[in-house]
Amino acid sequence: MRPSHLLFIFLLLLTFIDATLYLHAKRMANDLKTDQALQTIAVAGLGLTDLCIATEARYTRHPAVSDPMAPFMDHPGAIEHFPTGSFWNAPTNTETR
Amino acid sequence: MPMLPKGLEKQLNILDFSLSSLWRRKLKNLSIMLVFALVIFLLGSFQMLTGALTNSADAVLKNTADITIQKMSAGRQEAIPLAYIEKLHSIYGIRAIIPRVWGYYFDESNLANFTIMALDSDSMPDGNKLDLTLAHGHFPKKTETDTVVIGRSVHNILGLGERRIFSLFRPDLSLKSFNMVGLFAQQTDLLTNDLIVMNLSDARDLFNIPPSMATDLCVYVANPSEIETIAKKIAGLLPDTRVLTKKQIQKTYQVVFSWRSGFASICLLTALVAFAILAWDKASGLSPEEKREIGILKILGWETGDILAIRFWESTLVSALAFIIGCTAAYFHVAFFDASLLKPVMVGWSVIHPPFKLLPSVNLADLLLIFTFSVLPYLGATVIPAWRCSTVPPDSVIR
Repeated sequence: MRPSHLLFIFLLLLTFIDATLYLHAKRMANDLKTDQALQTIAVAGLGLTDLCIATEARYTRHPAVSDPMAPFMDHPGAIEHFPTGSFWNAPTNTETR
Repeated sequence: MPMLPKGLEKQLNILDFSLSSLWRRKLKNLSIMLVFALVIFLLGSFQMLTGALTNSADAVLKNTADITIQKMSAGRQEAIPLAYIEKLHSIYGIRAIIPRVWGYYFDESNLANFTIMALDSDSMPDGNKLDLTLAHGHFPKKTETDTVVIGRSVHNILGLGERRIFSLFRPDLSLKSFNMVGLFAQQTDLLTNDLIVMNLSDARDLFNIPPSMATDLCVYVANPSEIETIAKKIAGLLPDTRVLTKKQIQKTYQVVFSWRSGFASICLLTALVAFAILAWDKASGLSPEEKREIGILKILGWETGDILAIRFWESTLVSALAFIIGCTAAYFHVAFFDASLLKPVMVGWSVIHPPFKLLPSVNLADLLLIFTFSVLPYLGATVIPAWRCSTVPPDSVIR
């Protein structure tokens, strides 16, 4: 068998895997729609503002309602020390005071 | 075998030659491809995960309160007096103002942070549908004191099992008991995993907040196009408050995980530096063995164009395969393995780890960006030295 034929077989395999993943994504998107309908009710009914991803610091648990100075407010000259604080970008609420 | 057009047959032969040549140095080429795929996998995973979180936030946070009012004092948020509601009655267009008491409860035995939320859910939009978000039980009614609905991680961390009663400490360290009357469903984990929802009076008792105060006010506006105007009026009437609009809250997750955020920059810089070293190594010249090979091919009658075609095929195969494998692995990582390599970085020291049921975000713009940063420079870095070598007289390189 020519080496190029082996390559084509390998490429076909990759195409097959990626096509399966595409179908998986379509199916998952449908499943998530049901979940998101419930999540939307929770947001409306409880007035939630943020996703529950990191719970260690208030400014990464609720970045939408925290201000960019929150990480440095513990005491004068405080250094931000929570790991998530260095990986999450501060929201730019320029219109807020 | 069917006859192929002459040009295609030639390219197939060159492809065969390139593959054999790659296979001859398989250890070197496979390791380059592996490192390359790893860099692409890391960048791809990060982009797919953050994109998925941003998409989820976009989809679900559209029903958040129109305007949120927080009282500020000395640069910090503090409790807002309920008397402020009276001051806002003069603004035409406000449909409802709902006070909320919420905050964080640090469970010292488990080192977990819970979010306590209390409000009169009956007056909230969709408040009557909230029971649908529960796996079992119901939301506490106004008259039901000392009852709570909790998120699944709170249930696990408190180790409740079949029990329904648990206690939390007030600020003076006296205990307050709660009866769990409902548990949030798995489908809402992304929002409710660390939540304990209770009545306003219970939350005031737990946090020792006077009945005349709340944590913030949720304002609902009759006409959505007036949100900005009403927010400005509120800011004018209550100068010691911070007024957040729905638009600002929705915008948060567009920037929180952008390319400018810390981790993304580190990934990108590491990948670029690693790649720069690789490219520099390649571009600084071919090995004497490779030069000899090019010389021999030229003596055998190969043209400069053919030699370039071999190098082009070689580097295209290595980089394109690394790109496809890296991106596919990134999808697997985010969709099936809960992005387990990136999750510790996203949650830091959090004790509560929400399960990520996320649809990896795959869009053309991100894929093209990763392709441009990785594959194209690699092609340039391998083909250019081959061209420089193939233009010198063959006898000078094989001697």
